[in-house]
Amino acid sequence: MSDLAALVVQQSLNGVYLGCLYVMVALGLTLIYGVLNQINFAHADFVTVGAFTAFFTATRLATKVLGLPDAAGYLLSIFAAFGIGALLGLAVNAAVFAPLRERGDELRPLIATIGVSVLLENAQLALFGPIPYQFDSPFARETIRVGRIFFSAQSVLVVAVSAVAIGALYAFLRFTFLGKALRAVAQDRETAGLMGINPGLLIGLTIVIASALAGMAGALLGPVLVLSPFAGASVIVKAFAIVIIGGFGNLQGTIIAGIFVGIIEAFTVQYLGSGLIDLVVFVLLLAMLVIRPTGLIAERKEENV
Amino acid sequence: MIRAETLSKSFGGVRAVQNVSVSVPEKSIFALIGPNGAGKSTLLNLLSGIYQPDAGSLTYGDENLIGLPAYRRVRLGIARTFQKIRLFKQLTLLENVLAGFHIHHETPFWRYLAFGDRGRFRDEARELLAFLGLGEREGERAGALPYGKQRMLEIARSLATRPKFFMLDEPAAGLNAAEVDFLLQRLVDINRRGITLLVVEHNMDLVMNVAQRVFVMDHGEPLFEGTPREVQANSSVVAAYLGGEFAA
Amino acid sequence: MRRAAYLFGAAAIVALLPWLITTPYWRGILILCAMNVLLALSLNLVMGYTGQLNLGQSAFFAIGAYASTILVKTYGWNFWLASLAAIGGAGFLGLALAAFAVRLRGHYLAIASLGFAVITYQVLVNWERVTEGVRGIYGILPPVRNAVALFYLIAAIALIVYFVLDNLVRSPIGDTLRAIREDEVSAASLGVNGAIWKAFAFGVGAAIAGLAGCFYPGFVGTLVPDAFNIVESFTMMAMVIVGGMGTMIGPVIGAIVLTFLPELLRGFGELRLMIYGAALTLVVLFMPGGIVQAWSTLRARSR
Repeated sequence: MSDLAALVVQQSLNGVYLGCLYVMVALGLTLIYGVLNQINFAHADFVTVGAFTAFFTATRLATKVLGLPDAAGYLLSIFAAFGIGALLGLAVNAAVFAPLRERGDELRPLIATIGVSVLLENAQLALFGPIPYQFDSPFARETIRVGRIFFSAQSVLVVAVSAVAIGALYAFLRFTFLGKALRAVAQDRETAGLMGINPGLLIGLTIVIASALAGMAGALLGPVLVLSPFAGASVIVKAFAIVIIGGFGNLQGTIIAGIFVGIIEAFTVQYLGSGLIDLVVFVLLLAMLVIRPTGLIAERKEENV
Repeated sequence: MIRAETLSKSFGGVRAVQNVSVSVPEKSIFALIGPNGAGKSTLLNLLSGIYQPDAGSLTYGDENLIGLPAYRRVRLGIARTFQKIRLFKQLTLLENVLAGFHIHHETPFWRYLAFGDRGRFRDEARELLAFLGLGEREGERAGALPYGKQRMLEIARSLATRPKFFMLDEPAAGLNAAEVDFLLQRLVDINRRGITLLVVEHNMDLVMNVAQRVFVMDHGEPLFEGTPREVQANSSVVAAYLGGEFAA
Repeated sequence: MRRAAYLFGAAAIVALLPWLITTPYWRGILILCAMNVLLALSLNLVMGYTGQLNLGQSAFFAIGAYASTILVKTYGWNFWLASLAAIGGAGFLGLALAAFAVRLRGHYLAIASLGFAVITYQVLVNWERVTEGVRGIYGILPPVRNAVALFYLIAAIALIVYFVLDNLVRSPIGDTLRAIREDEVSAASLGVNGAIWKAFAFGVGAAIAGLAGCFYPGFVGTLVPDAFNIVESFTMMAMVIVGGMGTMIGPVIGAIVLTFLPELLRGFGELRLMIYGAALTLVVLFMPGGIVQAWSTLRARSR
């Protein structure tokens, strides 16, 4: 394999790894949009909460209190982050989304989520301080080698977990009653309500799932991110870009867009250095908004006048 | 006054309006009817400029309307109301109507920075409110009005633009019998002032009593055009409605 | 002429404040407050009256700060000329963002404006040749050396801006902007060209934010990109909403309250910063009209 080919393959695979991370974050965002027609600005902060939960679970709870080996501790922390994410979603839904649901206002819920975001950030700032934490995953130290391509065990873990999560989500939406009910609510809330489905409950369920995914993404992202209360800010940039490129509420689009952004990032870091990633991604996002605001694969919805 | 030739508009796979040619005579009251989903609102949106047609031509007097966005058509004298009420809910009744005078303001911009003047059209706005039976409520929030009054406010607001061609999308929807009568009177009065009316309606009382010509649509295509009597007698029109609304 | 009376009263209070507040620290807070009032007013036109969720205001604040500082320090311009140029630049960029964003609705616009803020921030960090990046620019002097004089200067500008904007929103232009906020489609059916007016609101708002930005570096003494990250946009937004969106006095109250409240809560340590998030969320949930609405509800109840 030539040098260039090896490099391209390596970066592409890195991109897929990064992409999976971002997809985990973006999936929750697009799920919430699909069912509520709202953007949750606090989503990235859910990720940060998940990351901190994972950090403390892995480094304090698992190893020091329970005496588990590092690897098991990390795996446990993924579950913990998933759970805490779900609880956080439940709380935010009850406090913020549900009360505002019936008013039919576009701006108010958006602004409320911004308020929650600022609240979460500053709460974490108060609890954990501004100095970044070093979150090392035991899997990051193991490298696997295939020919001239290197993977870290962490990247394999991430892709595996993502694949399982995406697969589970698909199966849930396609094959279970709840999942189908959810899709019904996403398409037409009123009619679904008339058919005996409780939209409020399902919307709550969606938010819980989305937040759990975000929390889990935080656990997976922890070792890659600079783990501080403001970590959410860098993530939300890319998450929005992905959701816009893939199309709000469009699951397949989000997955494809996520991988796409991951690959862009991998190659950008390689050739332009890491300082410019945010810039490149956002220019891409703005370009997308100009060319096709509804996303790459979305259907066009005409406004009902 | 307004003339559409072979107008067509599709959304994705749905052919909302197909090959519609219609000509609305000046100063007339023209009704547009058809079963649900016939494409009436789409046609109205094409005429008012919210949608641009995929094919066909559209002229207003001498002006070609194709490509002209909705807000520019207002200056030509085209006004419309909406099927779903679209009032400025947080503003008062008076403020809603005052907003309608937008195209008539000529004061240079910088004068507002220094003096902030709103007095000019107040009297005319109040006249319009009184005309539509809303005289005593000018300071109330539009969102707090009962449904029937909200519909009247929409008409008052559109009249503020001083239109020559006024389109109404189901103005009688949700109104009780007394309110429909009131609406009927107002439409006749408006028409007497020289304004051409195009009314999309389901309420056959209104159509039969007020319209001079009726255009029937079904499944996006033209079905029939004639006087109210002719339409009532036409068998394909009756069939299209499955006999429902003509029973009265 | 009640308005004239209110304005005089406000001017009198402003004139008195530096005599009542004499420690340098609190005088600094006064200056900050005046700047925040300007910033809140700048966002109010776009958000409160035209109904657009603009999260990029921090970018225009930054452009005002950097453009004026660089023109003064690197090119030796006079402060006032540099400020005019910076304001023009910020306003122009506001129009540019608008030209881009006016076709977008609701959340798309919010994200696009956020994107704009992030891009501006990244440019400031990365274009080191011009902005010194994260190292920052040091030794910046304010246009007037005396803190009290600086306060009077900024407060006077804020009063003038308030007066002009107040006239604007009481005029038919205000009606037009509010029509766009309430329902853009039916506004179009009344002849309103939504795009032009939204661009207008964006441009004016950006220019005013740029104006505030011109005074910021002199007040602080140094200029680093971190002062302009997107959190600032959220803070500005919180001031407008907590005070009362859609009124003129609301943002002023919001700016004053959210400037002084964290100071008064110093005893609570880092938790006090949560006040922004908590206030915003609570207001949006329970009192969407902000403090202004709370006040008028109280007055109505006590009758």
